[in-house]
Amino acid sequence: MVDYSVRVSNVSKIYRSGDVEVKALQDISFTFKKGYFAAIVGPSGSGKSTLMNILGTIDKPSHGEVYIDGIPTSRMNGDQLADFRSRKLGFVFQAFNLINGLDAEHNAALPLFNMPLSEGERLKKADQLLVRLGLGHRLKQKPTQLSGGEQQRVAVARALVNSPALLLADEPTGNLDSRSGDEVIKLFREISSTGNVTLVMVTHNPDTTKYCDKIIYIKDGKMEKEVTR
Amino acid sequence: MNYKDLVWLGYNDLNEKRVRTALTILMIVIGVASIVALISLTEGISASIQSSLSTLGPTSILVSSAKASGFTLADTAQISALPNASTVIPILTGTATILSGSENVSATIIGISPQDLQAAVGGNVSIYEGSTYPDSASPASLIGHSIAFPSSSSGRQNIFIGSAVTALTQSGSRSTQSTIIPVSGILNSSNSLLVPVDTSVIMSMLAAQTLLHRNSFNEILIKAKNTSSVVPLANLIIQIYGSNARVIDTQEIAATAAQIVGSITVLLVVIAGISLMVAAIGIMNVMLMSVMERTHEIGIMKSLGFRNKDVMALFLFQALLVGVIGGILGIVVGAGVSYGLAAAASHASSASPSASSGQSGATVRTGPGGSGGAAAFGGGPSSSSSSGSLTFSPMLSASTIIGALIVAMLVSGAAGLYPAWRASRLEPIEALRTL
Repeated sequence: MVDYSVRVSNVSKIYRSGDVEVKALQDISFTFKKGYFAAIVGPSGSGKSTLMNILGTIDKPSHGEVYIDGIPTSRMNGDQLADFRSRKLGFVFQAFNLINGLDAEHNAALPLFNMPLSEGERLKKADQLLVRLGLGHRLKQKPTQLSGGEQQRVAVARALVNSPALLLADEPTGNLDSRSGDEVIKLFREISSTGNVTLVMVTHNPDTTKYCDKIIYIKDGKMEKEVTR
Repeated sequence: MNYKDLVWLGYNDLNEKRVRTALTILMIVIGVASIVALISLTEGISASIQSSLSTLGPTSILVSSAKASGFTLADTAQISALPNASTVIPILTGTATILSGSENVSATIIGISPQDLQAAVGGNVSIYEGSTYPDSASPASLIGHSIAFPSSSSGRQNIFIGSAVTALTQSGSRSTQSTIIPVSGILNSSNSLLVPVDTSVIMSMLAAQTLLHRNSFNEILIKAKNTSSVVPLANLIIQIYGSNARVIDTQEIAATAAQIVGSITVLLVVIAGISLMVAAIGIMNVMLMSVMERTHEIGIMKSLGFRNKDVMALFLFQALLVGVIGGILGIVVGAGVSYGLAAAASHASSASPSASSGQSGATVRTGPGGSGGAAAFGGGPSSSSSSGSLTFSPMLSASTIIGALIVAMLVSGAAGLYPAWRASRLEPIEALRTL
């Protein structure tokens, strides 16, 4: 039996505004094996971010089911989903989405807030990751004191700190210069090469997919093709 | 989410918006300080009244003549013969202007047998220096502390043992009469509800009658045998004198005082409560603004696994933190205000005798029944400046402090409840789209 980290089965997403229906996603199905570095590629408005949000369980499909590590997610309630996200998922956003009031190590430690760990243990885990990502000297800096590349590395540390099964990155290089963007992609390749984390990246830029094991192409809410390398 | 996370996240947000936080805390401080100050002041006043009354004893009944002719020894004999009357003390009171050094001080003249002085004015009266006066027609006297040490002399002693003061009184023909009164002793400052001891000149009955141009006296203090016989004895005296005398007992004074203080307390606490309600609305407004501003942040937290109750706890904790800080500061400020007000009231009270400096001529007060009776001793707590001045210290009890802190937390918690609930109900995807 194939060990799928992600299985998307006939997922559709329909937004209703009065009598108007907008089909953001239509009957999408695909799978990612555990440890894959995968990409969902499509132009702006294609529905790739909607698909990303559904994979991240912060949005629900209108039809179909998403299985993460074999667990169906569409019928979970709010608290179950929150708990699931804190244990299984990591997020890297295009705009970094760090909390400005917290320094780098507290930002990176945020997903551990519900874990049975002491404050010291949580910060130690966050610090270890930040050191690995070359931010050992920036632990006490707040996001506004960091460059874009540094902020994204803090976001990556935050996404990895809870040892997720699935790391979701939404346009992770969108707000970075090309050098910082390349560094982040190489970092993702390195993370996925451990085989413990499945990494799914949403991008509109096909150039960033050179290290990916599998690429899903989406256009107008429909899956155009999938490429496995 | 554990306690440290809440503290860290809550503190960070409050710290980021320091001015707004400070203003929100100030609202709570004002409300709590008002409540603490008002309660501690009224409790202090209440305790002071009870203390003053307790020095007189719970069995005291004061009868004030409503007639100009006043009382005679026949009256004291009649009252002494009543059942349950233990001690009967005749007292004459009036006012005079005392020339103290270069100043004129308005004073209460009290004529009473030296043996009865303690029983009449309470057990807390003591002699600072010198000795008491003889029970004779000699005008030797005990001088009140504020007269010997007037506040206008910055507390320096103006009157000494062995010297004499001049008392100006008005005779029946409205001419001013000057009388030399030797000083036998000076009293310590004391707090008596019914008698203005500090601003009194106390002498024998005969000496006071000579000074005030009277043959009678205007007050009779009666001690009943026990507390249960006070009311029946007071009723008997009322039956005898009718409208010719006012009868008041310390239990009645205590009950009336407690009722007045209680009513004032309720009124003031309601006013302070309104200010706390305004503070609560302020906190709710600030918290709602905070939820709006932090919607995106809430989306981030929820995408990272924060549950509804975690988000709710975070915002509630912030509101409670404001309440606790505001409550503690409010208690400190309230205590400061109450002690400041008490000190100011005490200063104003001690300064009041010198307010009449420079007065000359007739200063004998007339009693309610006519020109001859003086009402300085009687009239209960509602009598004016001629009655005993009341000094008090605020009473800041542990229950007031804990109660104020709990109220501050309840108010801020209640005010934070709705914003916290709103924050917790945000959908992560919607919250993340908000910038």
